Amino acid sequence: MSVVRAGGRFIRSDLRARPAQALLTVLSVAGIVAALLTGATLLEEGTNPWRSLFAQTDGAHIWIHTTDPPDVARLRELDGVVRSAGPYRSAPVTVVQDGKKAPAALRALPAALPEVAHPVVREGAWLSSAQPDGVVVEQSFARALGLRLGAPLTVNTLGGARRVLYVRGVADSAEQGFYPEWTPGLAWVLPGTLDQVEPKHGLSEWVTGLRLADADATQVISQRAVVRLSRLERVYTWREVRAAMELDNRLLGTLLALFGVAGLVAAALALANAAGGRVLGQLRDLATLKSLGFTRHQIAALLVVEHGALGLLGIGLGLSAGWAACVWVLGATSAAPLPVLAIAVGAALVVLAAVGLPAWRGGRTPPIPAAPGAPPRGHLSRLARLALLVRLPPALVLGTRDAFTRPVPAFLTAFGLAVPMMMITIGLGVWSTLDNFLKHPEQVGQSAGLIVKKGKLTPAETELLLRQNPDIRKVYQGSTVNALAPGEARSVRVRAIGTSLDPYPYPVAEGRGYTQPGEAVAGQGLLDLLGIRIGDRVRLTVGGTPLIVRVVGRVVEPELDGQVLSVGLDTLEAKDTVPPAFYALDLRPGADPAEVAPRLLAASGEALDVQRVINPAERLGVIRMIIVGLIVVLALIALANLLTAIALGLRDHASDLAVLKAMGLTPRQVTATLVTATGLLVILGVLAGTAAGALVVTWLIDLQGHTSGVGAGIGRPPAVPAVVAAVLTAVGAALAVALIPARRAARASVPAAGTRLTG
Amino acid sequence: MTLKAHNLVKIYSNTGVPVHAVRGIDLEVDDGEFVAIMGPSGSGKSTLIHMLGGLDVRTSGEIWLDGKRVDSLTESAWAVLRRRKIGFVFQGFNLVANMTVADNVELPALLAGVSPREARERREFLLERLTLTDRATASPGRLSGGEQQRVALARALANQPSLLLADEPTGNLDSRNTRDVLRLLGEVHRDGQTIVMVTHDARVAALADRVISLLDGEIIDDGRIPRRRSATGTAGEVIDLR
Repeated sequence: MSVVRAGGRFIRSDLRARPAQALLTVLSVAGIVAALLTGATLLEEGTNPWRSLFAQTDGAHIWIHTTDPPDVARLRELDGVVRSAGPYRSAPVTVVQDGKKAPAALRALPAALPEVAHPVVREGAWLSSAQPDGVVVEQSFARALGLRLGAPLTVNTLGGARRVLYVRGVADSAEQGFYPEWTPGLAWVLPGTLDQVEPKHGLSEWVTGLRLADADATQVISQRAVVRLSRLERVYTWREVRAAMELDNRLLGTLLALFGVAGLVAAALALANAAGGRVLGQLRDLATLKSLGFTRHQIAALLVVEHGALGLLGIGLGLSAGWAACVWVLGATSAAPLPVLAIAVGAALVVLAAVGLPAWRGGRTPPIPAAPGAPPRGHLSRLARLALLVRLPPALVLGTRDAFTRPVPAFLTAFGLAVPMMMITIGLGVWSTLDNFLKHPEQVGQSAGLIVKKGKLTPAETELLLRQNPDIRKVYQGSTVNALAPGEARSVRVRAIGTSLDPYPYPVAEGRGYTQPGEAVAGQGLLDLLGIRIGDRVRLTVGGTPLIVRVVGRVVEPELDGQVLSVGLDTLEAKDTVPPAFYALDLRPGADPAEVAPRLLAASGEALDVQRVINPAERLGVIRMIIVGLIVVLALIALANLLTAIALGLRDHASDLAVLKAMGLTPRQVTATLVTATGLLVILGVLAGTAAGALVVTWLIDLQGHTSGVGAGIGRPPAVPAVVAAVLTAVGAALAVALIPARRAARASVPAAGTRLTG
Repeated sequence: MTLKAHNLVKIYSNTGVPVHAVRGIDLEVDDGEFVAIMGPSGSGKSTLIHMLGGLDVRTSGEIWLDGKRVDSLTESAWAVLRRRKIGFVFQGFNLVANMTVADNVELPALLAGVSPREARERREFLLERLTLTDRATASPGRLSGGEQQRVALARALANQPSLLLADEPTGNLDSRNTRDVLRLLGEVHRDGQTIVMVTHDARVAALADRVISLLDGEIIDDGRIPRRRSATGTAGEVIDLR
């Protein structure tokens, strides 16, 4: 108790004496924690938007489609059902937009939004009886069709009637997955409108949503609901919706984890540096405390408490700030509790570990307060003497020497800058990999910019049409079939494209491409799934007929987690390939798929189904935001590190300044000495970090590619100008930061060296 | 408090070459005695006093405090002992820079287990006695050297130590401040405080009951200073001076 009281006094006084430094420590920890939390939540949101959509729309857990209106009262009696939505009448229609036909469900909702499962309007307004021809379109559907507010929407009913509606709003819903992964697309109209569009009730279905008290009870309740219903068409739950909305988030997850861990390491270094610097500065006081009767362990505990408290305060602040940011951006209850907990615990452990070492060192201070806390001094090294002899600027030589007087803090400073710099380089590498995806889709297995499905035309007509288009360099016929894999209770995708003589230009990462019938190439995911290697034979079953192929190469395969086997059309039997299911169009360099597609459509009289190939990088845009955010936080951490190093350097050399001036160095030279001392460590750290990052980045991305099934061979080193710019910015900013205190110190009238004793 | 040292030796071997700082010192300090240890620089007097307070570890020999052998105590046990029984005054004052004068003085009392209220009362009493009451809230850096040493003395006395160890307490002070600090040391000594003080200044040492002279780590002289009787000088007194 007595030690707690006495220690408490010390900590309080110490914090009061250096509020700015303490604040910077708290803020840098808070910054990284907030960034981690926001990043994790944004990632979760970006890759799995279901959670927040469900919260925003007060979604229903179970959706039931029936032929007749169900008895909702009976469903609500079910134990665990809190509220219900609907039943809403829903009619299947075909939307005709820019020549494209898309299946859609036209759902009748009232003008007053329901309590449960109400769509959230993102643009425009909700339906109103004043505009009976209005329609509100689900956001992903609207985006896929290129619909804007006020645009006409032509719908064909099953009966063949055509009706034009006008888009009044675009809304989000957690009722079903995104279009086109989940079809049909969803659009809402007023009940009266639906009666006009599709007067025949026999051609429509009824949709009812149930909101439960406990999401975990979904399975049981949905089974009970099914028992109570007749003429059931379809039941699905939030789990299916969530799964449908999920992106392949492994790349993002790995990246975020990597950045997170590195960020924590950097924060730990910053904290260890700050605490270490403080301990070094306090050695005299600590010795005094020991002479007064504090034991070694009590001193260490004191320091852990003081610096750990700052770190923990930072964690607390960071969590609240991150949480607030998430709630502000994404709406309440959007932050997932598990990552928050993991981040909090991880950060707390890192903070304690980071503070532990300097605290232990502080505890070992000898109790004789007269022992100087000055740096170990040696004589000038031979190199330094030689440098002075050949008349290198003395500031440079003395600064270089000063930089390394304390090897451990010097290492910590350089390392503390190297880690953020390494992460920044990795971030730039990821950025350039994404750019490369976009610029060279052929390198990620997307040589074809457009996929054409024949639609109403005959194969001969289609081929003629494609051959006539000047933007198309080459047309590859293709078909996809599902094949049963041996020993797997599931099917794998077999893509037949091109022929053995004229194969599709796959980017072959290992082995070679297929050159004769019976040969195949596969994505990493398929190799892993079947446990085979290049050169192995595989026996699959396609529609009852066995297919035996030899895998001769591995290609970069961005689709279906890489679980795709590709062969020439001549490898499959004719029944599976004639007529071809699609045509992959290799466009002339410079041709924009977005421009070619409508021209093709127009040329075919809107008879062809032209699809643009979605580049994986387009879906990974959220990564770029994460990279930018993390670079900012890492820069902050590096800054905190730097400020500690500068403070420590100034403290160490305060007495030397008088000597330097007495020796005849001008204030400018003194400034240069101090800046050199810091700048050297900065340059060392930045260069080491950049080199390490550049070395590791392609390997890292390829590793990630391997585990995600896409396969190695996608990683690209960061662009050289970007890296050079980053290095120059980092070094320049660091020197600028170092310059201010150095100038102030050099200009100040320096008291005699002895004053340190009385300080 | 009686303090005994027997054949105390300290050898520094940090640089590889062993340096004999203290070579077999025997010493006995009685309760209430004021002992000054004198000697030129490097004679081992600071090392001796640091060993007596447990700040430095002896190479060999024994230290007894109040009949208990303490030289074999661990660092932590020494710390606890210092908390309860020993007060230190240093040449460099060694006030904790970030703490106010009041906090500096209260710290040892709090550490000794005294309640905050008692610690405050004791601090008020000491600062008043050392005429520092108005500087209680100041930071040590704003005080003059003499004031700082008075605060350091107040701090050393805050836990009511049985033994006060002072290492060149006036080494950094001008003559006026030296006089003040010495007057205070004399006062606490008169109250029965056992004091061991290291100094190289004969005038300062003259205040003590007994002066021990060190040279090269060995005691070369140990003599009592007879107290001058007050007032009227008589012939007998002159003879008494020897």
